[in-house]
Amino acid sequence: METHYVTEADFVSLLSRLEKQGDLYVATHEDDKVAIKPFSEVGDFTYPGVRAFQPLKPLFFSMLEEVAEYPTEEEALRESKPFAIIGAASCDLRAIQALDRVFLEGDFKDPFYEERRRKGLIVSFDCTDPLDTCFCVLMGLNPYPEGGFDLNLTKVEGGYIVEVGSDKGKKVVDENKSLFKPATENHLSQRQAIRSKVTETVEKQSKEFRPAAAWQEILARAFDDSAWARNVETCVECAACLFICPTCQCFLLYDERAGDRYKRLKMWDACAYRNFAKVAGGANPRPHLVERFKHRYYHKLDYFPKNYGFEACTGCGRCIVACPGKIDMRKVLKEVCKS
Amino acid sequence: MKNVYKPITAEIVDVITETPTIKTFVVRPRETIAFKAGEFMEVTVPGVGEAPFTPSSSPSVKDTIDFTIMKVGKVTEAIHDMEKGALVGVRGPFGKGYPLDAWKGKEILIVGGGVGGAPLRALFLALVERLGDFKKILYCYGARTPQDIVYKKQIMEEWPRIDPKKVEIRLTVDEGDETWKGNVGVVTTVVKDLGLNLNNSVAIVCGPPIMMKFATFRLVEIGYPDNAIYLSMEKNMSCGIGKCGHCMLGEYMVCKDGPVLTYDLIKDKPAIWD
Ligand SMILES: Cc1cc2nc3c(=O)[nH]c(=O)nc-3n(C[C@H](O)[C@H](O)[C@H](O)COP(=O)(O)OP(=O)(O)OC[C@H]3O[C@@H](n4cnc5c(N)ncnc54)[C@H](O)[C@@H]3O)c2cc1C
Ligand code: SF4
Ligand code: FES
Repeated sequence: METHYVTEADFVSLLSRLEKQGDLYVATHEDDKVAIKPFSEVGDFTYPGVRAFQPLKPLFFSMLEEVAEYPTEEEALRESKPFAIIGAASCDLRAIQALDRVFLEGDFKDPFYEERRRKGLIVSFDCTDPLDTCFCVLMGLNPYPEGGFDLNLTKVEGGYIVEVGSDKGKKVVDENKSLFKPATENHLSQRQAIRSKVTETVEKQSKEFRPAAAWQEILARAFDDSAWARNVETCVECAACLFICPTCQCFLLYDERAGDRYKRLKMWDACAYRNFAKVAGGANPRPHLVERFKHRYYHKLDYFPKNYGFEACTGCGRCIVACPGKIDMRKVLKEVCKS
Repeated sequence: MKNVYKPITAEIVDVITETPTIKTFVVRPRETIAFKAGEFMEVTVPGVGEAPFTPSSSPSVKDTIDFTIMKVGKVTEAIHDMEKGALVGVRGPFGKGYPLDAWKGKEILIVGGGVGGAPLRALFLALVERLGDFKKILYCYGARTPQDIVYKKQIMEEWPRIDPKKVEIRLTVDEGDETWKGNVGVVTTVVKDLGLNLNNSVAIVCGPPIMMKFATFRLVEIGYPDNAIYLSMEKNMSCGIGKCGHCMLGEYMVCKDGPVLTYDLIKDKPAIWD
């Protein structure tokens, strides 16, 4: 694919130009974390090196949004402003692919998600500083993007290699030609070296968790394993793991009065909540916490692959960091694999 | 771009009291909606919320749709308080209907209970409209008491007269009363001596979870192959279009892959009857 080189200073100029075309979000270092913030607040760009603490999903799938007003004549759906996000890791891109499958496939599309996807430009980067909770390599991913981006950055001496991944990305390069130079052999070999080194790091820290067989195969045998109950003991049912998960897409529709009309809201929901699947009359397929806990693992690693062909876990490790009960998905799976 | 979350306004044009807890609402949507038997819709009570219901009228009736609704909670109570002329909303149809074409030339067994009679009426009417395509229809329906039988006049007087050689109706109640002369017992007690050729038959089941479970076990025991048993799965639903995650049964999204699923597909999934 087409690659270019841009200096650090020229990249910031590019951002200033992009900011004029819509909302611009960039990854920035905050304390010891990477955060996604409006460029207007940050004003600069430093290479993120690793995924941000928050997932990118709220940019495409709002935590709470109005999806309909009734009764009214068919209203035009709100158009959303163009926006760009600078700082998607490889795992973030995989998560967006998972959301795409759910929201855009089938007989019905989610028009709100579709509109945000259409308007959003995604600039990703190669990871250089993986966290000790990163395990993308166990989910069939490398710590550098291989698809699903509009542009991808790799940090090299003095600037970045910019790889074009889509027509949208190409347009940005074409419209700002003066800022880009050709990427040299030297740049590309620096990229190769970084990629090998970082992959090796993540491989090394993931080694003890690598399963002996495919996840689906393991889960097919593990449903009644006692490890589930043991591991859920410290769960406080806060659902932080689900809200922070970049691929969790469950939601609830609910209605409210708004003057002489009504509006329908779409709000994030979580399968960890007791009444999530309860039906009128009281029947509940997952009344116990351990069943809901398992449901999450089975959904990500068995049901989702059955439906869409790849895992809905990206190995980003956000759930490990977020859990007040210190539940580590890798360890849970390791125990389950053992038996 | 069409907004699938927005309901189409529909007027309630008639309300029929079926039983002390079940009413049929005949609604006329502002846009014509075509559906197949077994597909469901999300019905909105303005400001209160939505719930999934399967139309109970014949799919060939185009301008109005019947919903037969049991009062069990928030939305269903609110709609029970609504009268002729009131406005509701509808979205859909969603899911997959019954595969009538695949059943051509077959003998059809229908087993229903309680408000499960709703989708089964749409199915029954659709089958009867092309009766020549099917060898036989045996409709078994159970209610708690004689008072709890839905579509009483149709099921007790009209349907048995359609074509007595081809269409048989069997009714039962859990508890009889002084007027009841029919069978007493749960619905599985009339699912016997079927006189059907099981090699060329399909069974369709819809009703409360406990009834679905025992009816399915009974059908398996009689000798129905798992893939000839069609079950209407009642799961919690919100979006109705395979996005919100509420209705999952194993890897199936009941709203999109169902709500009718054959037993072979789901029998090994967790908690199918709950
Ligand atoms: C495909 C399908 C077809 C159905 N067809 C009919 C029908 O024809 N007639 C009929 O009377 N009933 C039918 N039901 C059951 C009906 O949807 C429930 O009785 C109704 O949702 C109860 O809503 P409520 O607000 O009155 O109950 P509440 O007890 O107040 O609410 C139950 C809670 O569970 C949620 N919920 C979501 N999905 C369901 C569900 N499927 N069942 C129960 N609660 C649910 C509700 O949103 C609510 O939050 C059907 C269900 C499904 C899944
Ligand atoms: S999980 Fe992999 S891709 Fe994601 S931030 Fe960590 S190293 Fe990068
Ligand atoms: S009801 Fe939303 S996914 Fe099935």
